[in-house]
Amino acid sequence: MNSSIDLIGVLSAVAVLTGLGIGFGALLGVVSERFKREDNPLVEQIDALLPQTQCGQCGYPGCRPYAEAINQGDALNKCPPGGEATIHALADLLGREAEPLDGEAQSETKVAFIREAECIGCTKCIQACPVDAIIGAAKLMHTVIEDECTGCDLCLDPCPVDCIDMLPRSAPLTQWQPVVARASNMIASDRQPASGVA
Amino acid sequence: MASAFDFPGGIYPPERKQRSNQSALIEAPLPSRVTLPLQQHSGQPARPCVSAGDAVNVGSVIAKREGMISSALHASISGTVSEVSATQITIQGDGQDTWQRLPSLDWRVADTAAVLERLNESGIVGLGGAGFPTHIKARVVEQHAIHTLVINAAECEPYITVDDLTLRHSANEVLEGAQIIAKLCGVQQIVIGIEDNKPEAITALQHALPDSQPVPVELSVISTRYPSGGERQLIKKLLDINVPSGELPADVGVLCHNPGTLLAILHAVRDGQPLVSRIVTLTGESINQPGNRWVRLGTSVRELLEQAGLNIAELHQVIQGGPMMGTPLPTLDTPVTKLTNCLIAATREEFPPAPAESPCIRCGECESVCPVALLPQQLHWYARAQEDTKLERYHLFDCIECGACSYVCPSHIPLVVDYREAKSRIRLQRIEAAKAEHAKHRFEHRQARLAREEAEKQARRQARQAQQRRPANIAAPSSEKVDLRGLRIAHAAAKASVKKAEKTLARVAQEDPKQSLDDLEMQLATAQENLKAAELQLAQAREQHSSEESP
Repeated sequence: MNSSIDLIGVLSAVAVLTGLGIGFGALLGVVSERFKREDNPLVEQIDALLPQTQCGQCGYPGCRPYAEAINQGDALNKCPPGGEATIHALADLLGREAEPLDGEAQSETKVAFIREAECIGCTKCIQACPVDAIIGAAKLMHTVIEDECTGCDLCLDPCPVDCIDMLPRSAPLTQWQPVVARASNMIASDRQPASGVA
Repeated sequence: MASAFDFPGGIYPPERKQRSNQSALIEAPLPSRVTLPLQQHSGQPARPCVSAGDAVNVGSVIAKREGMISSALHASISGTVSEVSATQITIQGDGQDTWQRLPSLDWRVADTAAVLERLNESGIVGLGGAGFPTHIKARVVEQHAIHTLVINAAECEPYITVDDLTLRHSANEVLEGAQIIAKLCGVQQIVIGIEDNKPEAITALQHALPDSQPVPVELSVISTRYPSGGERQLIKKLLDINVPSGELPADVGVLCHNPGTLLAILHAVRDGQPLVSRIVTLTGESINQPGNRWVRLGTSVRELLEQAGLNIAELHQVIQGGPMMGTPLPTLDTPVTKLTNCLIAATREEFPPAPAESPCIRCGECESVCPVALLPQQLHWYARAQEDTKLERYHLFDCIECGACSYVCPSHIPLVVDYREAKSRIRLQRIEAAKAEHAKHRFEHRQARLAREEAEKQARRQARQAQQRRPANIAAPSSEKVDLRGLRIAHAAAKASVKKAEKTLARVAQEDPKQSLDDLEMQLATAQENLKAAELQLAQAREQHSSEESP
């Protein structure tokens, strides 16, 4: 009974919902054009997790380009300076599977050192340094600002006289990390009591 | 009145103060050789200003303040500097004990700057344990209004009796030192917080109170409970003020000083005597003459303990500081520093090795004794799992490492060890993150500079071409469509980012003038470089555009 009223009801409901759909669709379209972001916020987040050594070992010219490539679907495991920790952080962020590192992990942070007596002042390393951490001028000795060097190795190849060494970075005592030997939770009687001093 | 307020948690460990507070305070024999580490305070290590072979007197400056938070270091015996290394200075004594003092200063009439400078050049640091440079602490009035000075004589840790003996012997002088700080910081009242297990010190203070002028002093005896000597806990107990998480007592208008520090301040100002000695409690079952000694800084711990009758056969370990928060010394050949308040030469029976650790049973005992009202067991789980974001959400950095949780733990879990490890790991991560951020800014600045240089080169080339008025075939490479609109947008964006960087820099500089602005300045420079490049490109494109339209 009352099928005509039902039909009107159904039609009006469909019309209202379609209208709402078109209206909100248009609104969303306008808003997405109006407030469009030039940069991708996800790229920013990925970039923040990378170690910023700008070493190019991933095959991209710097950390930012690699972050963009990861966002496009490139593998997560191309960053040796970041190591496993960075891969896991990236996998967590992007919800992807963590893969083993592609390349050799770096055991310690290094710093470039120019053997100044052998430097011929060619400025090639200055041009190669991604963070402007080498000072010097043509035909004058160059040197590395230790605090600014990221240990990226990029200055080694251009040097025509091989006078640059990568040395282990000296960490200040204030950054000392305690070494905590964690007893494995096995049988209590297996453990040796700690021995004293003096 | 004051003891009506209370902080949460706390424990009642055996006090064992009787062993060291029975004998009088005496001078330790003059050492023949001292080793003075360059870092005996929080902040930057001092920079040596003597070299091997130099003759020094007691009180000669041997290392100067380096950077903002740092402290000067003085020779503690007279003699010859025998070695200056990267971390310490060694002096061979001549046995003469020749002093070199600064002129006496009358703090009642001297101006603030002179007294502050005296504290600075005397190398005074907080002797309670943290070693924060006193002149920096006194300059807190530049940022905050201070209404109360708290003298922290609670000395809640077992074994330690340094403050007790200091007050018994020099209550008047400690109060005079407090008046100096009170004058420097413009405080309205001084409150002494002392636990009721030090009756002699309380009597001495009561005798000294009427003479203390001009700021009124109030003596507040509180019940004995560990850790009432924690800065925040004592402020809560005495004044019923909560110091909010992540803030300092100065933010709520309170300054806290240790009696030993106040005594050192008076000696520096009144007698011109820099910090070259301090009182150290020597205690523990392995020595037969326990007590408190005036010890020259840099004296070897082994020498000191041997003079107190050390029985090396019985010795199990030496703990520097109290049994709750102190650290075991890995070797006895280490010097007494500005921060050594107590040395416990313990036998094996006294401090037996900790029983084997068992898993956490979630009994909640640790939570009920935590004086900061944290959740120690949650922190324990997260610290072991290295869940750093959760650790920070559960306020790991509010932990004062008092050790109450480890003390009551029925599973014998070394909770504080976990927290310390997690804290230092997170701190290191923060340093690394800051470094990465800095490198990123430098990289961006370099990219911007290269872009600007390229644009300049391009502009010069075009200018040359225009001058030579060559036919159109040279201009052929530039015949690709000029995107004027895109360049205009890029230029506007660059302009906006310069403005934004300027604004951020100005805001941060206003909020916290002490903070390092290097990175923000770098960001501004990057934005400026980008703007320059955009301007050049735009100008160039406009020129090209006009030349194309009117050939």
